[in-house]
Amino acid sequence: MIVSFPNMGYSWPAFKTLIECMGVKVVLPDPTNREAVKIGVKYSPEFVCFPFKVTLGDFVSAIKKGADTLVMAIDCGPCRFGFYHAVQERILHDMGYKNIRVIPLDQADLLEFKWVKTLFDVTPTKNLFLYTKAVKAVQYFIKKTKYIEDISTAEGLIRCYERNKGDTTRVVKELLIKLDKTNKINELRKFKSVITNDFKKIDIDRSRDPLKVALSGEIHITLESHDNLDIRRKLGEMGVQLYQNLSVYDWVIHKFHLNFHRKWLEYLARPYMPMDIGGEAVWVIGEYIDRARSGFDGFIHAYPFTCMPEISARTILTNTLYKKYNLPIIFFSFDEHAAESGFRTRLEAFVDLIQGRRKQKRQKKEIKLEKKSKEPSYEVHGGSLYNSIFQFIQAG
Amino acid sequence: MQSKKTTNQRELKHLKSALKSYRYDKKSKIKVGIPRALHFYRFFPFWKKLLEELGCELILSPPTYKQIVEEGAFQGFGELCLPVKVYYGHILYLMREYPELDYIFVPRYVSERVEGYFCPKFLSLPDVIRTLPNIPKILTFTINVKENPISNSIISLAKTLGKGQREALQAYEKAKKYHKQYQDFLRKGTPVGYALKLVEKDKPFKMLKKKTPKNIKFLLLGHGYNIFDTYVNLDFQKKLTRHGVDVLTIENLPEILFKEPVIINKQFRPYWLHEDEILAAIRYYLVQGRKEIDGVIFLISFACGPDSLIAELIMRDMKVIRLPFLQIIMDEHTGEAGLLTRIESFVEMIKRKKRKLDEMKEKQDLKIFEEA
Repeated sequence: MIVSFPNMGYSWPAFKTLIECMGVKVVLPDPTNREAVKIGVKYSPEFVCFPFKVTLGDFVSAIKKGADTLVMAIDCGPCRFGFYHAVQERILHDMGYKNIRVIPLDQADLLEFKWVKTLFDVTPTKNLFLYTKAVKAVQYFIKKTKYIEDISTAEGLIRCYERNKGDTTRVVKELLIKLDKTNKINELRKFKSVITNDFKKIDIDRSRDPLKVALSGEIHITLESHDNLDIRRKLGEMGVQLYQNLSVYDWVIHKFHLNFHRKWLEYLARPYMPMDIGGEAVWVIGEYIDRARSGFDGFIHAYPFTCMPEISARTILTNTLYKKYNLPIIFFSFDEHAAESGFRTRLEAFVDLIQGRRKQKRQKKEIKLEKKSKEPSYEVHGGSLYNSIFQFIQAG
Repeated sequence: MQSKKTTNQRELKHLKSALKSYRYDKKSKIKVGIPRALHFYRFFPFWKKLLEELGCELILSPPTYKQIVEEGAFQGFGELCLPVKVYYGHILYLMREYPELDYIFVPRYVSERVEGYFCPKFLSLPDVIRTLPNIPKILTFTINVKENPISNSIISLAKTLGKGQREALQAYEKAKKYHKQYQDFLRKGTPVGYALKLVEKDKPFKMLKKKTPKNIKFLLLGHGYNIFDTYVNLDFQKKLTRHGVDVLTIENLPEILFKEPVIINKQFRPYWLHEDEILAAIRYYLVQGRKEIDGVIFLISFACGPDSLIAELIMRDMKVIRLPFLQIIMDEHTGEAGLLTRIESFVEMIKRKKRKLDEMKEKQDLKIFEEA
């Protein structure tokens, strides 16, 4: 039995260990590319959301590499995500891959422990020691997702300062391969220092004054760099410091009911949207308010074309919240008809505008002190890695 | 002098009290506007009975026409699905034509079953409508069986209207009964448009005269707001009847079909409630009722999330069973000529198929006759 799963940004080392710890062979699909998207678009229904098409393409590329069992996360929420695996399995069967199994990984509530059954489904041999294996797998998985989150936050912070273009991208790639190779608990515990040391080796120009921009939206689109046309790298090279809360770790911890940051965002969003309607709608609204209060320069909302929850969130953002908090916001809806140059122009225009806005604000501030607003304002807070990277940038 | 003054005062007092009572009378009828879109086609009898029992005066927006769709499309941005844009249009109409409205009724339907949901756009409907500029107060109630029973939310609805718990529960009982009657009436085979008209005019449920059954019978799938909104779908049902086709909708099917849950996959149960009904109906016609209908038409509005996946599943099933299947996607730019051509060709195809099958049958009968 050879198992595979679709791409989602940097998260592949974590999912790989999750399944390899159960003693099963894993095949990774090719990094998402044009060919895979083409196949996905050809066989999937006309106007499903973009992640469906991309993951279908990933599945096909994994099957061509020899995989016979595919794992797909599902969520029994109100949005289309829950139907993915059922329809995808049907399509794959109709395409001629008759022996393929698509196993759903139920993540509606991780404390119901339905995912243990999925892990056991994947393993061919069944004995008593499976439980210890599962514990180890989950431990490694959570540790690795945490490190992946750290890598992506450090990347967003540091890229706008780099002297040689492409340094950060290289470091991230190397770190992911290193993370994939460390499979001992002692080494894993020390991995945080590896990350900080590697990032500190980058040659940075401390005199720059980057803009602070937050990226949020649907999780697959914001994490997978091919789908969002590498928005993180493009923004970084334009001189924008990127902040992103979304990650697999953030999501998994939320589903274990331990993510208090998301609870705070839900609290902020409650007057505008009192319940979770699937996708990331509630947290996008919460994050917008949160970022506006902590003095950001801009906000980017990325989502797949016709995504139902995110569209509801967008209506609320444009109609009321933008007027109230006045944090510049740009919306990107992605699908397979993406044009690189048009996208770039829009991004550049946005960055130019928020740069001008910041300049104006600073001049005003020199003349008179800013009016005290009713909304409380606070600094951005982050984990220990965020702090160490931040100190490193300012230390020079 | 004194007596005159006192009489004057008395009169004034009397007048004041009369005015007060008059105002009270006027106020006791709270004016509530209901947009004729989305859930209207499914739950209107229930709402009508409920709100009228709670002492409201209902004002309905007219059937959709061009200006409503245009205004709605202007208000909502491009990616929204057509029904929600039409909903915007109806709400804007109500705001413009009836500025004296106390409330606009925008319910929030989350789930009617423990393991189920409506489409995410229904879950956030009041929140989204609340963001429109200069909107009057919104009257909303939440149906979420996962958290609390329906009666609770109706009690809180009655509280905002100034009514007590007892009245609320009585109104709920009556509304439930009336809705059940309405549904039974539909299951006898009455078209929904006619039944809704009866409900609107407070007339008793009376059957239409039975027409002679036609040669071809279609199952028309889709959401109520797509099928029964005659402007949005360009009077689709009438076009079909003009071509000599009898149309069945999901509302006309017996209740037993929907009781058993639909299974797509061993590990997985679908959760959208409307879509569940569609799947259950189609399951019956795929297996037992294969010979009862001649074809299936699925009306979808552009950018409808749930339907995009359900239609794919149905289409794949139809290919296996070999039942004719037509999928029509609508948006605000629908051209009538193209739609007519598609219907004509589909109906013609089925007529030809039927003729051929009949000829084959005759030949077989002849053969059997000769052999005998």
